[in-house]
Amino acid sequence: MWVALGPVGDMPCLLTLQMECEAERRPLGVFECQLCALTAPYSYVGQQPPGAQSVALLEESYVMRDPFTPNKDRFLILGSRCSVCGRLVCVGPVGKPRAAGAAFPLSPWLGPHDCSFFYSKRFCLPCVRENIDAFPQEIQQDLEKREVPSKRPASQPGSRT
Amino acid sequence: MPPPRTWEGRGPRDRPPAPSQEEDPEKWDWNCPETRRLFEDAFFGDEDYIRQGSEECQKFWTFFERLQRFQNLKTTRKEEKDSRHPKHSIPALADLPRAYDPRYRINLSVLGPDARRSRGLGRRLAPERVSEFRQALLHYLDFGQKQAFGRLAKLQRERMALPIAQYGDRILQTLKEHQVVVVAGDTGCGKSTQVPQYLLAAGFSHVACTQPRRIACISLAKRVGFESLSQYGSQVGYQIRFESTRSAATKIVFLTVGLLLRQIQREPRLPQYQVLIVDEVHERHLHNDFLLGILRRLLPQRPDLKVILMSATINISLFSSYFGSAPVVQVPGRLFPITVVYQPQEAEPTTSKSEKLDPRPFLRVLEAIDNKYPPEERGDLLVFLSGMAEISAVLEAAQTYASHTQRWAVLPLHSALSVADQDKVFDVAPPGVRKCILSTNIAETSVTIDGIRFVVDSGKVKEMSYDPQAKLQRLQEFWISQASAEQRKGRAGRTGPGVCFRLYAESDYDAFAPYPVPEIRRVALDALVLQMKGMSVGDPRTFPFIEPPPPTSLETAICYLRDQGALDSSEALTPIGSLLAQLPVDVVIGKMLILGSMFHLAEPVLTIAAALSVQSPFTRGAQSNPECVAARRPLESDQGDPFTLFNVFNTWVQVKSERSRNSRRWCRHRGIEEHRLYEMANLRRQFKELLEDHGLLARAQASKPGDSYSRLRQRRERQALYQLKRQHEQGQGRRRKVLRLQEDQDGCSSDEDRGGAASQGGGDNVDIQDVKFKLRHNLEQLQAAASSAQALTRDQMALLKLVLGRGLYPQLAIPDPFNSGRKDSDQIFHTKTKQGAVLHPTCIFANSPEVLHTQEQEARGSDGSRDDKDKMSSRHQLLAFVSLLETNKPYLVNCVRIPALQSLLLFSRSLDTNGDCCRLVADGWLELQLVDSESAVRLLAASLRLRAHWESALDRQLAHQARWRMEDKDDEETDPVNRKEVAALSRELLQFTASKVSYSLRRLTGLEIQNLYVGPQTITAAPSLPGLFGCSTPSPHPTKGGYAVTDFLTYSCLTSDADLYSDCLRTFWTCPHCDLHMPFTPLERIAHESTCPEAPQDGPPGAEEAAPEPLQKASALQRPYHCEACQKDFLFTPTEVLRHRRQHV
Ligand SMILES: [Zn+2]
Ligand SMILES: [Zn+2]
Repeated sequence: MWVALGPVGDMPCLLTLQMECEAERRPLGVFECQLCALTAPYSYVGQQPPGAQSVALLEESYVMRDPFTPNKDRFLILGSRCSVCGRLVCVGPVGKPRAAGAAFPLSPWLGPHDCSFFYSKRFCLPCVRENIDAFPQEIQQDLEKREVPSKRPASQPGSRT
Repeated sequence: MPPPRTWEGRGPRDRPPAPSQEEDPEKWDWNCPETRRLFEDAFFGDEDYIRQGSEECQKFWTFFERLQRFQNLKTTRKEEKDSRHPKHSIPALADLPRAYDPRYRINLSVLGPDARRSRGLGRRLAPERVSEFRQALLHYLDFGQKQAFGRLAKLQRERMALPIAQYGDRILQTLKEHQVVVVAGDTGCGKSTQVPQYLLAAGFSHVACTQPRRIACISLAKRVGFESLSQYGSQVGYQIRFESTRSAATKIVFLTVGLLLRQIQREPRLPQYQVLIVDEVHERHLHNDFLLGILRRLLPQRPDLKVILMSATINISLFSSYFGSAPVVQVPGRLFPITVVYQPQEAEPTTSKSEKLDPRPFLRVLEAIDNKYPPEERGDLLVFLSGMAEISAVLEAAQTYASHTQRWAVLPLHSALSVADQDKVFDVAPPGVRKCILSTNIAETSVTIDGIRFVVDSGKVKEMSYDPQAKLQRLQEFWISQASAEQRKGRAGRTGPGVCFRLYAESDYDAFAPYPVPEIRRVALDALVLQMKGMSVGDPRTFPFIEPPPPTSLETAICYLRDQGALDSSEALTPIGSLLAQLPVDVVIGKMLILGSMFHLAEPVLTIAAALSVQSPFTRGAQSNPECVAARRPLESDQGDPFTLFNVFNTWVQVKSERSRNSRRWCRHRGIEEHRLYEMANLRRQFKELLEDHGLLARAQASKPGDSYSRLRQRRERQALYQLKRQHEQGQGRRRKVLRLQEDQDGCSSDEDRGGAASQGGGDNVDIQDVKFKLRHNLEQLQAAASSAQALTRDQMALLKLVLGRGLYPQLAIPDPFNSGRKDSDQIFHTKTKQGAVLHPTCIFANSPEVLHTQEQEARGSDGSRDDKDKMSSRHQLLAFVSLLETNKPYLVNCVRIPALQSLLLFSRSLDTNGDCCRLVADGWLELQLVDSESAVRLLAASLRLRAHWESALDRQLAHQARWRMEDKDDEETDPVNRKEVAALSRELLQFTASKVSYSLRRLTGLEIQNLYVGPQTITAAPSLPGLFGCSTPSPHPTKGGYAVTDFLTYSCLTSDADLYSDCLRTFWTCPHCDLHMPFTPLERIAHESTCPEAPQDGPPGAEEAAPEPLQKASALQRPYHCEACQKDFLFTPTEVLRHRRQHV
């Protein structure tokens, strides 16, 4: 549920300001993951997202403004190209990375977007599977663990309690 | 230029941090605020991703602590040195770091500390610590990315899973080929949120989507904005009566049907839209039906306009065939199987004859669920009841049951609840406990609650029904329709298989009407007819409605509008009518606003009009709470409820403007629902804008505080408010609470209130309503209006009552003559069409009815046991009321007391007199008997002139307004009617209202009404009144008999003994203005007075003479005078003596 909130008030100056920002981040195109078909409009491609000078990306990424926060210089990385096959893939999996050092109680829920992962470069999951030997053991174990639960039949979407 | 910084995390060859040699790790404390400050200075500057002191900064440190704890668990980090693998043949895989480190999995890097800002960080902190910090920061950013991407992915997954997702392309394709498409799908199929997005994705950019309810506009705009990932952009907006988030960038706007109709009124071809989505057409709201009719006519003229009608799967063919067999895209709903159990209520031996609902059948269902389903199996219960009284009957019993079993959390749900209380139904019940939601039909379509597994359907609904003959709204209980029954049942199967208990027999169900009665067949149509007239759509009787309204309703509406002066006798809009048609408010309210602005009473009238347009702010329970009652008392006005509401609002504004006071607490203490006051403030502002837009009120000069200091202070305050609002919005996501068992039922203490009492400033306890109020309104202006309201003079008050009275007319009620002998609670009143109405319990006169009793006992006879019936008094009063609501009794809602004689003389559409004008009948139902003919005639004459003045002033105001709309709106001259003239009119009206003439007042009996008039006369010798009525002589009235003097006044048409001789009843009379002295009948006298060439047209002297009371005052100067020349006796003032003498010169 959303609580109904009023407008910011009839403040013309604010409105124009808002519109200018709107123009600045007009989407360049629509990103579409070639594996899971996730789509989202992106507004930047590269390694230095606008509005975030102190952060750099380690790969050429498709980026949108983070739609979930009113903060205007928050970005969200959608995906990039697999460094082996060149497929455009989303950054999923987004769930618990089980490898050492990163498993937090805070982790968001794992979804079925198992399309790629990053290990100093972006790799799509098909390419990782094909070349699993090239990766350190931790990655291999991680991948194995990940494959097991995904074989379970998919549960009713959106009805977990 | 920022000094160069180094990138952390860039490249795989960074050394993993090694424990520091020099420093004792034991002594290092990350929790030390000073340490944290140093790092924040270095990393969280104004240019950085995270800013010092922000909420995000706090989040980071929380994350950091968790990370530390986690890493302590696995301190051993094995250095992997193996390089047994040969280099990979694929280049991308060849240089992978062999030694695994989790940070290689992060695709981000952050800048190192900026040397300028680090204040010697390098010297004071070991590089390992800096590195550790940066690692944590990386993990934090990475975590944030994963979280946001997770939300994005989840959103898409959910959208794809909606039943309508398969039909998006088909809908777009059909729309390409046809002008109108019907999309039919049941609640939960996703049509309302998805179809607008499909259009957006397909490149449409001028889309309007109408909703029957304001709240749906807001929530849909938010939802669609969120789903289409432009939540904080402005592609998706809404526009409702009070507010708009629409901007030039808006591509889709959600708006109410009423608002779209207003837009059509301004621009009939709707050039601003490419696609129009009309949602919920199956609900058959009045405005929706009208809109469909308008669209059907518009479509041939706008071949490029596309229309999507969205409906539940109810009666789809009706809509399709109305638009020339428009194609239908039907989307199956997503429902789990639902078991239907019929449990007809056998006629139980009711304990009493009370009308109270028997809660036992409902309790039996609770019991049955407890017995049959283990508490671990979750699933809540939704009970559909007909109305609020029924809800409280079951609530009481269910709570008693729940307190025994501890397995139920019982919650009411209806529209009169506060928003906070309504919101409770979305809270989660603790394990082992089910929610039992007792709801009106609001949960049938408007509110969707997840997790419902059981539904109990009483089969009843209470709806407003309209009796066009009595012009009476009735809240009546009906059986529901089959469509509603199915809708209710469906609520049990949204999240899993469910059960629906129907408390009626299957044969009852079969007898239900297939569909609910459309609103157009149930409600008063005045607003609709007025709007139709304003939009020039032709005769409402022949408008091609999808289903025509009952002809009697239409006729009643037309008649009402004529009575209200909005339509003339040929059913065309009058000047005031065309202005009313432009104001999106009730006719009565519109009239008040127009009249108020004319008398320069706009500010108080705005407040009163707003107060009368929202639900009563007084909470029901508080009536029985002596503390609330006592606290309210100082706010009450014995003039009437509108003035009490006026006081409440003004005092509340004062409380709000005093920094230290808490308005929420103030309201709670007085049993006032603050939400309603916020609504009033919004509505007031909107009314004000309306008046300004229509040139009835000068636009307020943007009041700029004089010095730059106070400007700065104001800006700071606003910024602080915005900050609070943002924080509140960000905190929205995690607010679903777990219900406590045994909810506190005391209406005066909801959670929200307690929070407010605790603190004003911090975190979640912010009174967000207060913040929004202060952002939306100019508190200083409001406060100025409120304090000027407290300084209203008695004259202004009296004028205000006249404005209200004229606005509310003919909604009048007369106190029953025997009221003074009755108990307070038994006071009854009669309207023209309804006898025995009672006062609403919240009405001020319900507690102090004595102010309505005729006090003055000027008994003529010796007969002491008179009731008010024939009592002679100068202080008879009538009640003007805003609405008549019939539930179990007919209730008068929002009453003002007004002086009877003066109000009737000034307002009535029909005034009939007998020969000597002592007997008057107003609007064919109220009889006034005056003591002497002399004062009767004087009053009549004065009222004739006042009405003429008032009309002409109003006409000029309206004409000016019309011109103002046509021409240049920058013309700042918004004072069309000469101030002096208005002042003179006001003065005259006040004098007239204050006049003291004894009379009796009563309601005519049915038999008397039948034999009221003498009827058409065969001998129609017009009274010889040469030229006294200006050019037109009074013509014999064709039906009543007597003579029509004006369009409302008919002279000598009442049957009475003296009638036969009325023409002969002449007495000598001297005109005070021209000194004409001759025998006159009362009629001749009136005629002369209103046309006397010597009579001053306006201005104080004439007014004083016209009004009897000042005349009496002036008579202090009068002396008996005997004129030698004409041998007559006079009562003359010295000037009159001089004037008289001049005659004989
Ligand atoms: Zn993907
Ligand atoms: Zn690949």
